[in-house]
Amino acid sequence: MTVKIWAVSESPSVANEVASVAAAIAGGAGGGYVVVGLDDSGPLLAGDEKLVVRANTLLSASPEAASDALAVAAKEANPDVILVGSTRDGKEIASRLAVKLGRPCSSEVFGVALGTGALRGKRNVFAGKFIAEVSMTLPCVVALKVGTSPTLPASAALAKERMVGVAAPKTKMVERREKQKGTVDLRGAKLIVSAGRGIKKKEDLTLISDLAAALGGAVGCSRPLSADMGWLPEEHHIGLTGVTVHPDLYLAVGISGQLQHVAGVKDSKVIAAVNTDKSAPMFEASDYGVVGDLYAVLPAMLREIKARRH
Amino acid sequence: MKIAVCVKHAVDETELKVDSGGNPQLKGASTKMSTFDKNAVEEALRLKAAHQGEVVVVTIGTPEAKKTMKEALAMGADRGMLVSADPLAMDTRRTSELLVAALRRGGPYDMILCSEGSSDMYSGLVPPMLGELLDLPYVGYARKIDVSGQLAKIERALEDSVEVVEAPLPLVVSVVSEINEPRYPTLIQIMQAGKKPMEDLTPEALLPGATPPVPLVREMKAQAMARKRVLYEGLPEETAKKLVDALAAEGVLPR
Amino acid sequence: MFYPDHHEEYSEVLSSLGTFMEKELLPISPSIDTGEVKMAGPRKALLKQGMCQIAFPEKYGGLGLPFSVYAAAIEMLGTAEASTCLSVEIHNAVAEGLNRFATDDQKRTYLPSLLSGDSLASFTLTEPASGSDAGTMATSAEKKGGEYSISGSKMFITNAGEADLYLVFAKTKKGPSCFVVEAPNPGLSFGEDLKKLGMRGSRTSEVIFSDCRVPETNLVGEEGKGADYAKEILHSARIIVAALNVGISQLAYEKSLAYARQRKAFGKAISEFQLTREKIADMKTEIDAARLLYLYASRIKETGGDYSSEASQAKVFSTEMSLRVCDSAIQIHGGYGYTTDELHRHWRDARLLTIGEGTSEVLRMLIARRELARSQ
Repeated sequence: MTVKIWAVSESPSVANEVASVAAAIAGGAGGGYVVVGLDDSGPLLAGDEKLVVRANTLLSASPEAASDALAVAAKEANPDVILVGSTRDGKEIASRLAVKLGRPCSSEVFGVALGTGALRGKRNVFAGKFIAEVSMTLPCVVALKVGTSPTLPASAALAKERMVGVAAPKTKMVERREKQKGTVDLRGAKLIVSAGRGIKKKEDLTLISDLAAALGGAVGCSRPLSADMGWLPEEHHIGLTGVTVHPDLYLAVGISGQLQHVAGVKDSKVIAAVNTDKSAPMFEASDYGVVGDLYAVLPAMLREIKARRH
Repeated sequence: MKIAVCVKHAVDETELKVDSGGNPQLKGASTKMSTFDKNAVEEALRLKAAHQGEVVVVTIGTPEAKKTMKEALAMGADRGMLVSADPLAMDTRRTSELLVAALRRGGPYDMILCSEGSSDMYSGLVPPMLGELLDLPYVGYARKIDVSGQLAKIERALEDSVEVVEAPLPLVVSVVSEINEPRYPTLIQIMQAGKKPMEDLTPEALLPGATPPVPLVREMKAQAMARKRVLYEGLPEETAKKLVDALAAEGVLPR
Repeated sequence: MFYPDHHEEYSEVLSSLGTFMEKELLPISPSIDTGEVKMAGPRKALLKQGMCQIAFPEKYGGLGLPFSVYAAAIEMLGTAEASTCLSVEIHNAVAEGLNRFATDDQKRTYLPSLLSGDSLASFTLTEPASGSDAGTMATSAEKKGGEYSISGSKMFITNAGEADLYLVFAKTKKGPSCFVVEAPNPGLSFGEDLKKLGMRGSRTSEVIFSDCRVPETNLVGEEGKGADYAKEILHSARIIVAALNVGISQLAYEKSLAYARQRKAFGKAISEFQLTREKIADMKTEIDAARLLYLYASRIKETGGDYSSEASQAKVFSTEMSLRVCDSAIQIHGGYGYTTDELHRHWRDARLLTIGEGTSEVLRMLIARRELARSQ
């Protein structure tokens, strides 16, 4: 029984991961995998087959149009599994395809494997307190959790093109402001020093940034500091509705450790915390904790780090 | 402006206990309005204030979901529809179909608001499915919504960019939690919420003849935390040194 | 607990207030104690939520709920933020006094903004030389034309200098009488905020009246009846103080439980030791007993009975209990108990209330007098 897998490259930054997962599960399934790109956005990754779906409108500008076009192509090719990255737009594409094609759909899935006539996987539930098994009968659509899988090299092999006619999307994108490159992308950071409400004033964030700089790491924060107080831009917000990180070291400073924050850091190799409150949940989620005042502990840490260098 | 807000009565993930088998103790678990749905209700109320109109809240949940619906009514929603069904016992497609059936009863709406995802499952799949099933424009992850006449101008918060999107009314929108700070209902509003019109709906009435729902997500096991939980207490100079030493020993500090 | 038919309604009210207190007051409570954060803003937000509307008539903006619901809300507030609780219960006591003894016109004038939180009140009875013996008060109110002129000074007044409305007790020819004095008033001034052992977030000072003029119509009730009004207001306030101290004790107790579980000595958690367990058992029993006492007194008040003895019992027992519980909390926390403001402030906050609003000594006299009279 061969199983045909599509890896949709809706977002260049996650396309690689999606294709890697497709390659991994196709390995045992015999049906091969197809890397599917939208428009003509550059070299696609290695795949058994490559397909570029294009339309009379810019698909990368509209998840709706992309879904329409992919649905047309999918009805012809009939892939058993359609994989897409679980980004914000990716989830939209996945759910639209699920409705258009009449297939089951799940999002934020990792650890996928093919069973007989079904695709199994796992996803975090209850803000990461539990892991659930997910099972979808084939054919299905799956949005894969990003940041969890290794990557494949790009390939110069040519892609088949499928030009599709789609209706004009109902929404119109009139502007896109890319977030400035060079500002932090915590998703790849190996070391993060993160600030929470224990920081009393915006000016005091220098304690965090100084320590991060001394350690060659990035600065993160819990939701209140970005969303509520606007002390740091949204890219620094780590948590269920922010960024998920997996550094080697995550140092949580003055962060109480609400479930929704911990959900974003669970995969860190080592977690450490500094907090005055001994009963802060962050300590439960940490390997090492210092119960103390960050205003004294952080400068002391900085001195210790500098001393070790000499 | 007639606005519908879809609100989930969710398991309170912060209070959820683990049983001896490592499974979540769902029976008798604490429940609450799904955290970010409060932002959706708040946004609906702000739009109502700016454009006059009505806010209808559609809640899916077990019978205790009435508490969540009343909370939304206390915040300022005008009417409520309660679909008695357990969202954890079905997949997102069925949830969407139930919502669509309820929305069709009370509609038409100028805008249907949802949050970016529920605090217990966080799939984010329902809002775009509503757009598909209702054949309405859908704009996801709104951090700012402006309405002028029959046109909505929405700022979307994506991972690497912010998009400004225009769409005609009526439409479906999901909002991110950063969009606003939800209001606390005052006690007077809480006491008056019970007097606002509330309608009870059943899945059988909304989707007659539908096959029994099946959740895709099952077999939930507690994540093994397995963190060391070593705690240092004492003077800052001492504890700071101990922490740095420990982290160096773990090999996570740069040379 | 007394209202099975209204259980859902009252639970919603209390649960909503509780959520507000937990999110908006509890986290800043240590900073209010140290003075880093000022109480005024959070207090106003709490009042705007409806904290002081609970047991008042709807026609003035109240919710018309039973007194015990308000008392239960005060217990939660005592846990969340004790200084704010003190300030709010004093404010509410004034509103209650006006609701009971003022004319309809006066109530229409003053109550709505007190209930909505738009204005703050202060109960102005105690003097430098007269506390429990209020009959010996020296502050006087002399009728001059269509006005009263108030002269004298009051001491240890909560909300002094912050309040918009002062319920002032001053002696007229007929005896102690009750007046509404609104701020600002040229004849009204205040002393420095007193440095207190606890309840540090709450402003307490002298209030000085120098030919402070108020219209005749600011007399509340009848001349000479002021002492009776004060007594009635205080009976009610004593139930509330009992609830406040249960709230403080509850927090100290919960912190002690958490600490005892994780603090190790001799290879095990100190919660394993008998003498720690004894403390835990006693703390819990006394807190629960005090809670039942204030609820019992509330119930009698609701049914219109004479609750002065029960209110006093509740206050004496709860305030003295709270010192035992908060002291045990310090003991259980050991060195950290002695050196952590956030912990020892519970005892410091609780310590006021065996003194304020009726000393334990005076209230014991009241209880005995009442019980002897009843048993005749």
